[in-house]
Amino acid sequence: MDDLIEDGKNNKWVMCKFCESKILRPSTASYEERELFLPFMQKKKDLAGTEHKGETLKRHWLVADMFAFENVGFSMTVDSIKYLACADCERGPIGWHDINDKTKFYIAVERVEHRQITQ
Amino acid sequence: MAKTYDFLFKLLLIGDSGVGKTCVLFRFSEDAFNSTFISTIGIDFKIRTIELDGKKIKLQIWDTAGQERFRTITTAYYRGAMGIMLVYDITNDKSFENIKNWIRNIEEHASSDVEKMVLGNKCDMEDRRLVSKERGTQLATEYGIKFMETSAKASINVEEAFFTLARDIKLKMDKKLEQSSPQASTAIHVTQQPKQSRGFFRCTIL
Repeated sequence: MDDLIEDGKNNKWVMCKFCESKILRPSTASYEERELFLPFMQKKKDLAGTEHKGETLKRHWLVADMFAFENVGFSMTVDSIKYLACADCERGPIGWHDINDKTKFYIAVERVEHRQITQ
Repeated sequence: MAKTYDFLFKLLLIGDSGVGKTCVLFRFSEDAFNSTFISTIGIDFKIRTIELDGKKIKLQIWDTAGQERFRTITTAYYRGAMGIMLVYDITNDKSFENIKNWIRNIEEHASSDVEKMVLGNKCDMEDRRLVSKERGTQLATEYGIKFMETSAKASINVEEAFFTLARDIKLKMDKKLEQSSPQASTAIHVTQQPKQSRGFFRCTIL
């Protein structure tokens, strides 16, 4: 994780794991630990065949302004939560936003790719 | 925190159900994929960043989310919209005929200076075409609106359409800014920098 953070911010581009759509520019988001429940991107069944709906993720990139995102999709609201998805391939949820707090937009570190791009 | 963009444009996608508005929204680029969770709840809007004439522009693109089934869209939905994509399906004559009704709806409810553009979607389905390109062009000319045929599925012209609409909004804003002093302007021009001389138009997806 340390190799992704510099001065408390993301030091690399945050991108979609699947289609390389650009989500956040380097040093635009701060690192924050908070337990947030995100549904799985794909349905998951364990060996016993029980379906698991999601998981609690702790490590996130946080931005205070939704226009800090380069490209992102916002889902319809479900119980005051909008889930974030890739704007291009629509895979998600990759992030979480509670409409009651307009200053917090989270992207789960585990659900995205981090890459150094020279540009 | 300092703003990282120069302009913010709110765009709407409007048209009959089934014309592929959602696809246009999703397929700004290739590789669309039906993820189980997100496709079930649906996308409300998207944020896109593009660069026009060296300016960074944020697009907030909204789909009507099924409201169009009632054949009318309320003023609330149009509020703040600076650009509207009117979408029909080239394999569905009714969706084309209805563009006129949508334009009327826009005139009634949206801001009078909203930029409009007509998209004939699904142009990859040539064998099922019912609306000729000429009819699309003619309609657009009649209303003085730009027109393009797109294929969200084959990623034809979708990006170009958004760039064209964004550029037209920006040109309109630049003109407005020239006419009024920056202080008096209500346009969302974040950096308030003097207008650049516009040369050959170049754009890149960031």
